[in-house]
Amino acid sequence: MKKLLVTFIALSTLWSCQTDEQYEDLNRDPKNPTEVAADFLFTSASVNLADQLASPNVNLNITRFIAQYLTATTYLDEPNYDLNNRNIPQNHWSILYRNVLFNLQDAKERVQANEMLDEAQRSARIGQIEVLEVYAWQVLVDSFGDIPYTEALNGKDNSLPAYDDAATIYNDLLSRLESAHTNLGAGQGFAGSDVIYNGDMAKWQKFANSLQVRLAARTDNWSEVEEAVGRGVFESNADNATMDYQSSPPNTNPLWVDLVQSGRSDYVVANTVVDIMNDLDDPRRMVYFDDNIEPYTGGTYGGSNSFQSYTHIGPDFRDPTHTGILMDYAELNFHLSYAAMEGAGLDNDAEGYYEEAITASMEYWLGEDVDASGYLSQSEVAYDGSMEQLGTQFWIAMFDNPVEGWSVWRKFDAPELNLPEESGNPVPLRYTYPVNEQNLNEDNYDAAASAIGGDDQQTPLFWDN
Amino acid sequence: MKTKFSSILTLLLAFVVQITFAQEQTITGTVTDEDGLPLPGVNVLVKGTSAGTQTDFDGNYSITADQSDVLVFSFVGLTTAEYPVGNNTTIDVVLEADAAQLDEVVVTALGIERDKKSLGYATQEVDGSEVSDVPTTNFMNSLSGKVAGLKVKSSGTMGGSSDIVIRGNSSITGNNQALFVIDGTPISNATPNTAGQRSGTGGYDYGNAAADINPDDIASMNVLKGAAATALYGARAANGVIIIETKKGQKGKGIGISINSTLMTSRADKETLPKYQQEYGAGYGQYYASEDGYFSLYDVDGDGNLDETTPFTEDASFGAAFDPNRMIYQWNSIYPQLDTYQQATPWVAGEHTPNDIWETGSTAINSVALDGGTDKSNFRLGFTNMMTDGNLPNARMKRNTIKFSGGHDFTDDLSIGTNLTYIKSDGRGRYGTGYDSENPMQSFRQWYQTNVDIYEQRDAYFQTGENITWNPNSPTNLTPIYMDNPYWTRYENFQTDTRNRYIGNININYEINDIFSVLGRFSFDTYDEIQEERRNVGSSGVSGYSRYNNRAAEYNYDAILNFNHDIATDLNLDGNLGMNLRRNQNHSIRASTNGGLNAPGFYALSNSADPLNPPSEYDATSMVDGLYARVGLGYLDTYFVEGTIRRDRSSTLPKGENTFYYPSISTSVILTNAINADWLNFAKLRANYAEVGNDTSPYRVFNTYAISAPFAGQGIANNNFSLNNVELKPELAKSYELGLEANFLDRRIGFDVSYYNTQTENQITPVPVSNATGFGRVWLNAGTVENKGVEVSLNLNPIRSEDFNWNMNINWARNRSEVLELAPGIDNLELAGLQGGVSINAAPDEPYGAIRGRDYVYDDAGNRIVNDAGFYLRSATSNEIIGNIQPDWTGGVSNTFQYKNLSLDFLIDVQEGGDIFSLDTWYGFATGLYDRSVGPNDLGNPVRDAVADGGGVILEGVTEDGQPNTTRVDAGYYGTPFGYARDANKGHVYDASFVKLREASLTYAFGEEMIERLPFTRASISVVGRNLWIIHKNIPYSDPEAGLSAGNIQGYQSGAYPAFREIGASVKLNF
Repeated sequence: MKKLLVTFIALSTLWSCQTDEQYEDLNRDPKNPTEVAADFLFTSASVNLADQLASPNVNLNITRFIAQYLTATTYLDEPNYDLNNRNIPQNHWSILYRNVLFNLQDAKERVQANEMLDEAQRSARIGQIEVLEVYAWQVLVDSFGDIPYTEALNGKDNSLPAYDDAATIYNDLLSRLESAHTNLGAGQGFAGSDVIYNGDMAKWQKFANSLQVRLAARTDNWSEVEEAVGRGVFESNADNATMDYQSSPPNTNPLWVDLVQSGRSDYVVANTVVDIMNDLDDPRRMVYFDDNIEPYTGGTYGGSNSFQSYTHIGPDFRDPTHTGILMDYAELNFHLSYAAMEGAGLDNDAEGYYEEAITASMEYWLGEDVDASGYLSQSEVAYDGSMEQLGTQFWIAMFDNPVEGWSVWRKFDAPELNLPEESGNPVPLRYTYPVNEQNLNEDNYDAAASAIGGDDQQTPLFWDN
Repeated sequence: MKTKFSSILTLLLAFVVQITFAQEQTITGTVTDEDGLPLPGVNVLVKGTSAGTQTDFDGNYSITADQSDVLVFSFVGLTTAEYPVGNNTTIDVVLEADAAQLDEVVVTALGIERDKKSLGYATQEVDGSEVSDVPTTNFMNSLSGKVAGLKVKSSGTMGGSSDIVIRGNSSITGNNQALFVIDGTPISNATPNTAGQRSGTGGYDYGNAAADINPDDIASMNVLKGAAATALYGARAANGVIIIETKKGQKGKGIGISINSTLMTSRADKETLPKYQQEYGAGYGQYYASEDGYFSLYDVDGDGNLDETTPFTEDASFGAAFDPNRMIYQWNSIYPQLDTYQQATPWVAGEHTPNDIWETGSTAINSVALDGGTDKSNFRLGFTNMMTDGNLPNARMKRNTIKFSGGHDFTDDLSIGTNLTYIKSDGRGRYGTGYDSENPMQSFRQWYQTNVDIYEQRDAYFQTGENITWNPNSPTNLTPIYMDNPYWTRYENFQTDTRNRYIGNININYEINDIFSVLGRFSFDTYDEIQEERRNVGSSGVSGYSRYNNRAAEYNYDAILNFNHDIATDLNLDGNLGMNLRRNQNHSIRASTNGGLNAPGFYALSNSADPLNPPSEYDATSMVDGLYARVGLGYLDTYFVEGTIRRDRSSTLPKGENTFYYPSISTSVILTNAINADWLNFAKLRANYAEVGNDTSPYRVFNTYAISAPFAGQGIANNNFSLNNVELKPELAKSYELGLEANFLDRRIGFDVSYYNTQTENQITPVPVSNATGFGRVWLNAGTVENKGVEVSLNLNPIRSEDFNWNMNINWARNRSEVLELAPGIDNLELAGLQGGVSINAAPDEPYGAIRGRDYVYDDAGNRIVNDAGFYLRSATSNEIIGNIQPDWTGGVSNTFQYKNLSLDFLIDVQEGGDIFSLDTWYGFATGLYDRSVGPNDLGNPVRDAVADGGGVILEGVTEDGQPNTTRVDAGYYGTPFGYARDANKGHVYDASFVKLREASLTYAFGEEMIERLPFTRASISVVGRNLWIIHKNIPYSDPEAGLSAGNIQGYQSGAYPAFREIGASVKLNF
C-alpha cells in the first residue's frame, strides 16, 4: 500500500515539476513589451499633447466652444458650459497627466539610463522633454489653477498627491525653461522621433524661450520676458511649434475625426467670432469659414442651430492633415506687444509687435504673399493701445489654438463674449476639478478647492485679474 | 415555416424502424405502498437498459422483457426494488418508504459520488428534463427560478449571454459567473464580448460559451453553492459550480433510439415595447425655418418656391401636431430613386410604428440519440440540430452537436470511459446592442420621428438596396446624419460568427482492492471562434470590416486516489488524495479596416480605405497545479464529518506568492436516527466552514507598454492605464454555512434551508487612483465583500391520489451583499461609467452594484424641490446613490399536475427589487416619442401647448422656501422636465421586480395499450411555452430582465430588446 502512495505522490510531483521561475515566465506578456525606447514615448507624448489641444470633441476639449469660435447645432450641453455631463475636466486632466506627462517623465528616465548616448545627447533630449512637460503643466494650471505637481506622477508610491499653488508652479516652470534652453544647446536630441521639429535644436531653443514668454507675459513677469527674448525667440512662422498630421487614422488632426469622419453635423461657427470678424471685414474669414451660405452667419452661441442655415468651419480645417498648433509666431508677438505695452524692456514697441503679430497670423492663414497693411490700417484694427483691441486681435488669431484663445479672453477680458442662448451661464474662468479627484483624492481636493477660493467655474485663476 | 415542419417529418420517418428482441414475454403486475394503496407513476425499467414504463393510476403496469432480465421499480421517496423476471408473468411489488434516503447518491466536486445524506453543505439537483422539456437555445435560462440562490438573467438578444450568479457577486471586478463542469470536464463559460459592449457603447452580444451545451444531452445537474462544496475544485470554483452529468448508454443489451423534436415560435411581448404617441411629428421644438417654426424650408419639388419639409436631421418627435390636411415634403420626397420623389404627403403618424419591425421567430430543435451496450460496455451517440430564426430581419443561428460517450470494463477492476463532444455554432445578424447605430432599438426607443412609417422604410430599402434613411443631412446631402434605415442596418451591416468546439475527456478507473481505487483523467475544452462585423459604405459613421479570431483551450490532468474503509463497526473512513494540473491558453487577434471601406459590400481587410493599423493581439497561457486531500468519517451512519485541504500554485501570481493553501471542514447529523417520530421521515442538520484561495488573470504582475500604430513612421508607445503590481497576493474567501433539511408526513412536505455568510478578502482589484499619479488604476489586494443570505426550497405534494397528482416546488433566496472595505482612502470603486452620467459602483457599506448619478434635491420632508422656473433642482454632482442592481430576493414556484396520462407543468419566476437605469427613457422622454408625452394637463389643455397657451405641467414638489410648486413649465420641446435635458437620473431609475409565467407545458404520454400498437417503447407529445406572461413588472415599455451582457455591469438598459413569448410543441419518441 505504501508503495502505491509513494508512486502516486512521486508521479504527482513530477507532473507539477515546473519551477516557480517557469511559472512566472508564463506571466510575461509576449505581445506587450516591458521595455521600450524613450523615442517611442516621446513621439507618443508629443502627438497626445497636440491631439488634446486640437480636438473639438465634446468629451475631451470644449475650448472651441468656450472661446466661442464654434457652437453646436443640436446638443447644447457643452456650449452651455455643462462640464460634468461628459466628464470633460476628468478627460482633459487624465490625458495630460497620463498620456503626456507620465510618458514624458518615463522617457526622461530612460534617456538618463541610456548608456548608449553621450552626455550631450542625453541633455538635449532631456531639454526637448522638459519643454513639452512645461507646456503640458502650463495647460493644466491654466485649466484648473492649483494642481498636483511636486507629488504627481509617482504611481502607487503616492496615490494621494497634494496640490501645489498655481503661481509657485508657474515660477518653477519658468526656471525649468531656462535650464531647458541650456540643455537643448548641448547636442543633438531626438531627431526622427521628434515630430515637431525633426531634431532642429535651434528651433527647440526658440520654442523654449517663446514658451517662456507666454508664461511670463501671462503673469506680468517682465524680467523673465526680457530674458527669454534675449536668449532668442521665434523669428517667423517657420519657427512655429506645430504638428504635421497624417492623412490616415489614427494620425489625422482630431478636427477631421469629429467634423468629417463622424459623418455628423454637430458644429457651426459661432456668431461671436463671425460677427466680430464681419465687422472688421477680416480677410482670414475666407480660410476660417466655409462659404456654404452668403453672407457669413454664425450660429447663435449656445442655442439650437440648423446646420444648413449657418456658416461652417473652413474646408482647410476639415482636411485630415490640417496642421495642429502648439505655439506660433503670431502668439509670441501678441504676448510681446502686451509686455511692451506694460513696460517690459524690449527692442520693439507695443505697436510694432502688434502689427507683426497680425501680419504673422495673416501670413500663416493666407500665405506669405498676403498684404496685411490694408487690414492694419482699418480704423478698428489700427493700433490704439487699448487692451480691448489687443485682446480681440489676439483672440481672432488664436482661432485654431483654442486653449490659448480661452486664456487670451481671460487675460484681456476681450472681446466681449456672448452668454449662451440656452442657459445664460457666464463663460467659465476655469474647469472645475475632475469628479474622480473628489472621490479618490478627497482631502487634497478639499484643500485645493479652498485654497483657490472654491472649486467653481467662476473662480478666477491667479493671473486672471 | 412549412419547410421546417416537413423536414422534421422526414427526420421522423427515417428513424421509424422496427427493432425486435428474442425470448420476450409480457409481465404485468401492481405496485402498492406499505399500506396496500396502489402507486401510480412508479418507474419500471428493465435493468441496464432504457426500456421501461410507468404504472398507471391503479398501480398497474405491463412490460415486455426477457426471462434473464431484472425489473427495477423506483419511485421518489421510496426504496427501489429489483425483481428478476424468470418465468414469472405477474410480478406484484410493495415499495417501502425510504426512511433515510440511503440510496440518494449525488455527484459532487471532481466527480466524486457521495451519499447525499453525508454532505455537510447545500447542493440542489435539477433533472435533465427541467432544461430540455421546454427548450431554449441557452439551457442556462431554463434554470431560472429552479434553484434557490441561483440567479439567471438573460440579456435578451438572439443567442445573447446569460448572467449566472450563485449567492451574489463576491468579486468586485473579477468574474462572478458560476463554473460549469460537464462529465468531470470544466468548460469555458467565457463571454467573448468587448468591454464596450458590456458597458453599452455598442457591439454584439456573442453569448456565453457554456450555452453550447446541448440540453438534450443533459441527464442531471447538481448545483454546488457554497465554498465547502466546491473547495476541492480550488480557486476557480469560488462562484459555485454547476455539475452536469450527461446521458449515458446502459450496460446490458439492446439498442435504443430516442428522438426529440421541438418547434418553438416566438413573438415580441408588446408590454415590453414602447408605446408611441400618435399626435405630433418630427422636431425638437418650434425653431425651424417655416412660419410656424416646426418645418424646414427647401425647394423640394423644384418649382423655385420653398416647401415645408420635415426637419430631416431631427431624431425626435416634438414637432408639429399631425394634421392630415397639411401636406409636407417628407423623407420619401427627397430621394430621386423613389416613386414618391418630389411628392408631399399628409402630415400624419406613421401607420406602422417601429414595433412592426418584429417578425415571428422560430427555433427548431431536433435530436436523435442511439444508446446501448453489452455487459462489459456501454455507449451513447447523440446528434442535435438547433436552428433559430430571430425576430429581427436577417437573424439566424444554428448549432449542431455530436456527442459520444462510452465506457468499457476491461476487467472487473479496470474500466475506461470517455466523453467526446463536437459543437459547431453559427450566428448571423445577431442584434446590435447599446448606444450604437447598429442597434435599431437605440433609435426606436430614444431617437425617432413618429411620422415615419417603418414599412415605407422597408420598401424603400428593398426597392433600391440603398440606405434610404428618414434621417439624412438635408435634401441636398442625402447621407445619413445619425440614424440609418433600420432595414439597411439589418441586411447590410450584419455580423457573422462561427465557433468550432471540442470538449471531452478520457478516464481510467482502477480498483486496487476493496479499499482503494485510483482514477486518472485527461479532459479538454478547446474552441476556435471567428467574429466578423460589417458596416457597409453608405451607413452613418465610418464604414468598415473587423474580424476577431480567438482560440481558447483548457486542459486538465487529474489523478485521484480514493479510499473507503469501515475501520470498525459503525465507523467508516473515506477520502481522496488528488492532484490537478490545469493549463489555460488564449490566443486572439482583432483586426479592422482603417478609415472605411474602398469598395462597398466587400468585406475583407484588404478593402481598407487607409493602410491598416496593427491588429491587437492577445496571447496568454496560465497554469495552476493543485494538490488536495479529503477525509470523511461516518459514525453509525448518522454523524458525518469531513475535512479538505488544497494547495494551489498559480502562474498568474508573483513568484513568491504563487502558492497558497486553504482548508474546509463540514459536518452533518441525521437527526431522524436520533429522534423517532412518525410524522418525520427524514431530517438532517449540516454545518461547514471553508476557505478558498484565488489567483487572478494573466499579466497583472509586470508592467508593460501598449504599442500602437506609428505616427509618421515613428514608433508609438504608451504607459498602460492600469499599473501592475509585483506584490500581489492570492485572494481569500472565508465562508460558513448552516443548513437543515427534512421531510414530513409521508414525504408530502419537504424543505431545505440554508444560511450562509461569505467574506472575500484581499481581492485583486484595479483600484482607481488620482490620474495625477500617472495612472488610472493600480492593481492591489484591496477590498472585502460580504455576501450572506438564506435559501429555502420547499417540496409539496398536496394531492396524491389514484388519478391525480400535484407536486409543487418552491425556491426562495435572499442574498445581502455589502462591500465592507475598499483600498485605504478609496471610498468608491466605479465598475463602469455609463452614458447618461450614471455609474455602477462598489462603495463601502453599500450593497455591491450601487447605481450613482444625479438625484433630485429634497426638503426635510422628502419633497422634491423646484427652482424659480418651476423645474426640479438637481444634485450638484453625479455621485448620489440612486439605486442598486441587486434584487431583494428571488424565487420560483413550479407546479406539476398529473392527471392520468396528461401532465401540466408551469413555473412562475419572481424577482423582488433591484434597480435599472433606463437610458431609453432618459433620452426618449426628451424626444417626445412616448405616449406619456402627450395628453391633457391639469387644466385639460394639451400638455404640449406652450405655458402661455395653457399648456405645460406643474411638477409635484415644493419651492425652495417650502411652498407647494404652482409654476407651470413647458413640456412640448426637448427641454421638457421629464427628459435628460432637465430631469435627474433618479427619475429614470426603475424597480426591476417581476413576476413571470416563465414556463408551461402540457404533456400527453401515450399509455401502454397505445404504445403496444406503435413501434415505440415510449412516446409523448407536449405543448410548451416560455416567457408567456409578465404577470407583474414596474418598468414601463421594457422587460426588467433586459440588459447588455452577462457580467458585473447590470442594472442598465440602453436600446433594450423586448421580451419574446415562445410557444411550441415537442414530440419525444423512444424505440
